[in-house]
Amino acid sequence: MNQSNNNNLNEPQKRKYVLSRRLDRAFLELYNIYAFVARFFKEVFLPPYEFKEIIKQCYEVGVRSLPLVSVTAFIIGIVFTNQSRPSLADFGATALLPALISVAIIRAIGPLVTAIITSGRVGSSIGAEIGSMRVTEQIDAMEVSATNPFKFLVVSRVLATTFMIPALTMYTTLLALLGGYLNVHQNEQTTLITFFSQVFEAITFLDIVASSVKSVLFGFTIGMVGCYKGYNSSKGTEGVGKAANTSVVTAMFLIFVEELLVMQVINAVRGI
Amino acid sequence: MGTAENKRSVLVGIFVLLAITILLVGIFTLGGQQKRFSSSITLTAVFDDVGGLKPGNNVWFSGVKIGTVKNISLFGSSQVLVTLNVEESVQEYIRENAVARISSESFIGNKNIVIEGGTQEASPVEDGARIMAENPLDTDALIEKLQENNNNLVAITGNLKQLTGNLVKGQGTIGRLLTDSTMADDLGAMVANLQRTSQNSVAASRSLNQFTSKLNTPGGLANQVLTDTTVYSQLRQSMAQLQEATNSAAALTENLRETSTRLNNENNALGVLLQDEEFARNLQNTMQNLETSSQKFDENMEALQSNILFRGFFRRRDKEEAKQQEQQQEQQNQ
Repeated sequence: MNQSNNNNLNEPQKRKYVLSRRLDRAFLELYNIYAFVARFFKEVFLPPYEFKEIIKQCYEVGVRSLPLVSVTAFIIGIVFTNQSRPSLADFGATALLPALISVAIIRAIGPLVTAIITSGRVGSSIGAEIGSMRVTEQIDAMEVSATNPFKFLVVSRVLATTFMIPALTMYTTLLALLGGYLNVHQNEQTTLITFFSQVFEAITFLDIVASSVKSVLFGFTIGMVGCYKGYNSSKGTEGVGKAANTSVVTAMFLIFVEELLVMQVINAVRGI
Repeated sequence: MGTAENKRSVLVGIFVLLAITILLVGIFTLGGQQKRFSSSITLTAVFDDVGGLKPGNNVWFSGVKIGTVKNISLFGSSQVLVTLNVEESVQEYIRENAVARISSESFIGNKNIVIEGGTQEASPVEDGARIMAENPLDTDALIEKLQENNNNLVAITGNLKQLTGNLVKGQGTIGRLLTDSTMADDLGAMVANLQRTSQNSVAASRSLNQFTSKLNTPGGLANQVLTDTTVYSQLRQSMAQLQEATNSAAALTENLRETSTRLNNENNALGVLLQDEEFARNLQNTMQNLETSSQKFDENMEALQSNILFRGFFRRRDKEEAKQQEQQQEQQNQ
């Protein structure tokens, strides 16, 4: 009896799969992501605007991340410069070091390092926070109390990361360049003005625009992935941990994919 | 709660402001360096080959960056029209006869355009003017030349290798010199000899020096011979006389020779005297006879003195002789 019931239950389920269980799940996930992103863009322009929450998230994402990001960027500037020197010294071209650092940091390292550190620090916390709210049914409670949980939780966080990561990128770039300058000054006795003159000599407006566009994209990705993973976390404490973990891993993976795509687009615009 | 939120908002505001400031400073610095925000004029130049010049490359004038390459487009049959953005402030320094040249910022660096030349007589360029272009140094040609040099270098090093190989093996003169110890000893001896010779030469030259300095001493014979024409003529005269004397001596010798020849012959008196033994014996006998005769004559003479007839004569003669001797002694005493 039970077996027949199970069969009866399974048969209609089997018919529900369009391709296969896994593929269907993957496409369903893709649709959910699309719906989530679409809902974000719908909700972001609709009032009410949760300014206080946005400011709070900006503080969390931007100001609280600044010390970590600054120290990391400064160290990366020093290390990158020091490690690049031998390659240029082989050509007797250590004078080109500021230009090399400039191109590397402004075009790639600045946005990338900021995004990776922030995705580790902020992405995981967003995933865990929203995931635990989902697990403890606080999100459901919000819906009941006529508060739009998506607007309050997701939109504010995604906006915060989208705005704060580019700002953090500015700091990162500046500090990484200063780190590079410190190393160059120690070894080649280059003055600050000469150093920055060479730095700006090597880059174009396109680099700054590309860097900014990338960091906006990275910020959006970090916020969106964190929120999506948390919002759709499975039940139980395990779900929270998983949400935090996958949000970081996915965000980092997507950041590198975006880096590759943006690089291709920018190079196409540059005419290389 | 409200205070905390305010504090947060202020911090976020400061954070964002600083980030925007960094971005703006970056943009303006970049713009300033690329001369985007300064008023500029446009110049054009037509090149046969731009060697990889790109829009955005720098334009230099007297070592100062004055603008960037705005646009590059093909022109005419296969030429390239390069449009330059140049600061308006330097317009007055660039003359119409200035020349644009494509150069490199470094051997592996970006290309750039260098504007140079131009004379004060020519008027400053106008906006949109076309300046003359000098075609760039072709790197390929340069490398081709370098390759040629490389080949030569390879040949040279090959020869050198062969040469040093022979040296090591001890082949050839230099090789033997380096490896053969006997030759080294010989060479050492040779050098020692040479040294000795040179020492001797030094001594000889010193002596020669002294000698010549003596020759040069004013008043000396040689000096006079060399410098005084009178002495020379006298010397010449003496030589002539000497020659004459020598000739006479030769004649004399000839006579003597003839005489001695005759003496050797027996067909004359002296020859007989010298050569004929028989005559010598006869002569000896004659001499002996003559001696005997003279003894006998002496005895006769003594007998004559004792003779009464002649005694008076001898006494008288003795007296006269004694008288003469006395007179001589008186004269000597006086």
